[in-house]
Amino acid sequence: MARFRIMRLLALRNLLSHKVSSAIVGGIIVFGTFLVVLGTSILDTIDEAMARGITASLAGHLQVYSADAQDDLALFGGGFMGNAEIGTIPDFAVVRKKLEAIDNVEAVIPMGMSLHTDVPASELDLAITRLRQAVATGDPGEIDSLAQQIRDMAADIEEEQNKTRAIARKEEQVRIDERLEILRRVRSEAFWQALSRTPEEELTYLDGKLAPLSLEGEMLWMRNLGTDLDRFAERFDRFELVAGELVPTGRRGLLLAERFCEDQLKNKVARDLDQIFTAVTERGQKIAQDPETKDKARRLPGQYRRVTYDISPEDAALIVERLAPLVGVGKNIEETIKTLLTVTDENLAAHHKAFYEQVAPHIRLYKAKVGDTLTLRSYTKSGYIKSLNVRIWGIYRFKSLEKSDLAGAQNLLDIVSFRELYGIMTKEKQEELSAIRKEVGAAAVNRDDAEAMLFGGGDALETRAQQTDMDDAEIFGADGALAVARAESDGFDPTQVDQGLALNAAVILKDPDRLDETRAQIAAVSKAEGLNLQVVDWQQASGIVGQLIIVIRIVLYVAIFIIFLVALAIINNSMVMATLERIDEIGTMRALGAQRSFVMGVFLLETLILGAFAGLVGAVAGAAVVGLLGHAGIPAPNDIMIFVFSGPRLFPAVGASNVIFALAVIFLVSLASTFYPARIAARISPVVAMQSKE
Amino acid sequence: MAANIWRHWKPRESSMSDIVQLNNVVKEYALGKTVVRALRGVSLTLARGEFIAVAGPSGSGKTTLLNLIGCVDKATSGTVTLDGAETNTLDDHALTELRLHKLGFVFQSFNLIQVLNVYQNVEFPILLQGTSTGGERHRMVEEIIDRVGLKEYLRHRPNELSGGQRQRVAIARALVGKPMVVLADEPTGNLDSKTGQSIIDLMKQMNREEQTTFIFSTHDPRVMEQAQRVIELVDGQITANGAQPAKA
Repeated sequence: MARFRIMRLLALRNLLSHKVSSAIVGGIIVFGTFLVVLGTSILDTIDEAMARGITASLAGHLQVYSADAQDDLALFGGGFMGNAEIGTIPDFAVVRKKLEAIDNVEAVIPMGMSLHTDVPASELDLAITRLRQAVATGDPGEIDSLAQQIRDMAADIEEEQNKTRAIARKEEQVRIDERLEILRRVRSEAFWQALSRTPEEELTYLDGKLAPLSLEGEMLWMRNLGTDLDRFAERFDRFELVAGELVPTGRRGLLLAERFCEDQLKNKVARDLDQIFTAVTERGQKIAQDPETKDKARRLPGQYRRVTYDISPEDAALIVERLAPLVGVGKNIEETIKTLLTVTDENLAAHHKAFYEQVAPHIRLYKAKVGDTLTLRSYTKSGYIKSLNVRIWGIYRFKSLEKSDLAGAQNLLDIVSFRELYGIMTKEKQEELSAIRKEVGAAAVNRDDAEAMLFGGGDALETRAQQTDMDDAEIFGADGALAVARAESDGFDPTQVDQGLALNAAVILKDPDRLDETRAQIAAVSKAEGLNLQVVDWQQASGIVGQLIIVIRIVLYVAIFIIFLVALAIINNSMVMATLERIDEIGTMRALGAQRSFVMGVFLLETLILGAFAGLVGAVAGAAVVGLLGHAGIPAPNDIMIFVFSGPRLFPAVGASNVIFALAVIFLVSLASTFYPARIAARISPVVAMQSKE
Repeated sequence: MAANIWRHWKPRESSMSDIVQLNNVVKEYALGKTVVRALRGVSLTLARGEFIAVAGPSGSGKTTLLNLIGCVDKATSGTVTLDGAETNTLDDHALTELRLHKLGFVFQSFNLIQVLNVYQNVEFPILLQGTSTGGERHRMVEEIIDRVGLKEYLRHRPNELSGGQRQRVAIARALVGKPMVVLADEPTGNLDSKTGQSIIDLMKQMNREEQTTFIFSTHDPRVMEQAQRVIELVDGQITANGAQPAKA
């Protein structure tokens, strides 16, 4: 004890008498600890935020899926985007029953993500439909204005086709020439005169020949998550309905993601204008300076047709009149819109406001809206196309993830419709099914019976299916084969939600802290019951972006490692210098009877004291900065970060573990960096003390 | 100095009072590519309570002799025995223990630990010994500092003291652990003659009162003549070893 006291005294005195080197070494340690505390605190907070965001929005705490999966489950991106092969859970009801029996499991929710397409009507389609109505009601004014609109559109398409023809190959030119012929005919006076005589012939021509040439009406890809909509809305805390209503129990339906509406369904001009507006108002960019925004603004006026096509002649007159003060008098609708879309840093706010106040109400701002019915198409596993009409009941979002495209990329679909669109069927099964079909007289099965057959409504057919050892997925596949384009019933028996296939299932826990324990339990139950499941936590399940945090953590640790490596080198160097400076003193102590261990001890203690002091200062500084950030919040710079932060801002907090970790690292670095100089010091011979100096 | 008669002096048979014995000690140093023979067959015995000067010109091997007796270095050949222990057979740890418990050092440049004050410097060896309680240490340190006349300077740092005062601290430090032998390498070398004399007086007083053996190197004749015995070294060999002819 007494010996330690003198060691401590020596160490302290030495530190104080070598102020410069102590300050340098201390400074490095302060910085290092600061960084460790700051970095790990932020990362841990992100971890927690992500955990909350992801677990409460889509993933649950754990995800189970087939042990036979070829790909990894990736809820937010990754291979799953392209319909990854994650196998199936053939009988969800069994899985739910078994897993919900585990004490820490709150709920098990079936899921299945799939890509579906929808081809929304183009502007041209709509104009032709309106023309048909106008012809039917015999409104000459409306007919004339629609005719003009359609001819304008045809002119635009013609211009586009001519451009394409100039660069097309010979064989391609022939096809383009055919299209140009159609367009010329539609633009001719003769065609429109003929309309009044033989309207049906001309309208059919427009529908059949002109409409397919539309520049718009491109296929819309939708990532739809089939799930138990009632329980989804109930169990995932972040779920929030923005518009419309929840899909009523036992009804087919879609809940569109708010981001999907904004990114995919919104009129492109409005979307571009929004993006420019957001860049300028929220991110503080300047159209004149930021290249991306500048480019977007430059191309905006050229897209005026995407707006003008939608505007009826009466509305056009109104808009021209209303916008005259802003864009100038005496312009037609095209010029008016073009001028409105010519935005600069000065006029952006006014033009944006005018667009939404005067123009937006007169155009189809979104390609689909609540109440519409979409025709979803999917390519089933066996390759045929399955179609299903599904009504849009509402628009939803995940709270605090409103701005994240990643979190908002999937629409929610009732799982019964999902199963129908999913359909698996091999050739053998097809044959087996046609045999069954023959046996039960499938030709005479009407829609309601088919429904009962498909979803096991207690019909004898279900027994039949079980006898042939077929799972639901195959039955749904059969449905596709039986009736590809039948009219859908809007309702189903609610008990069917659990009965049948899911691709994966979210497991929500009562106590998330017991995640690992419960994961093991689920794995055990799966094994014991032959459920053939694999269990992953939310982080694994969320895919590449979810694992981004792991990458960030690695980067931070590498940075910390490098900083401390440098610190180690500098401390080492400075201690070696100190050793050389103190040769006489060390030699004297050795001569007086100090053992090598004592000398080493003094040196180690010196760095430890410095390390402890500087480490505490750094930790306090780090904690203070984290505290400040926690107060103000760190804004998420982009979509991915919104997702990672689980919200537009991150509010970091320091945990005891962050500080302890930082101090432990400092402790190790201090020891490691002093070891070599301490050894040198210990090897100094007591002889040096005797060498006479003047 | 009439010393030639000692040239063929043989060491006495060892007796109970002999605490240091050197037997035909050779010490060689490598200096670059050449080998310097600092001691060329030195035999010597020190008895308890002696007050001995080692004399000789620079490079004669005085410091080397003290290093070997002081257990900070080992002989190339021959034996050095300190209180019955042959130093050549001991490892660094054991030699260090030997220095701690049996030896005291006084250096030409005082070699006080700059970051410690007078009290702490003096306390240092007995703290390392670890055999005394806090109370004992306190008493021992205060007593020895009092005896070297620095009672007023307990809390002073070395750089606040004069050369003579510093050497007094060094002597107190050398003696506080009750060593058998105190080695002093040119203890007055960095002091003016008046201060040097007071240091020699102090050493003599301690020698008398404690029966501590003192062996110091010097090339100052006035210092030399105050020793009981003078060992004269020339080129690594003893040329004279005997009691002062005149005053003792």
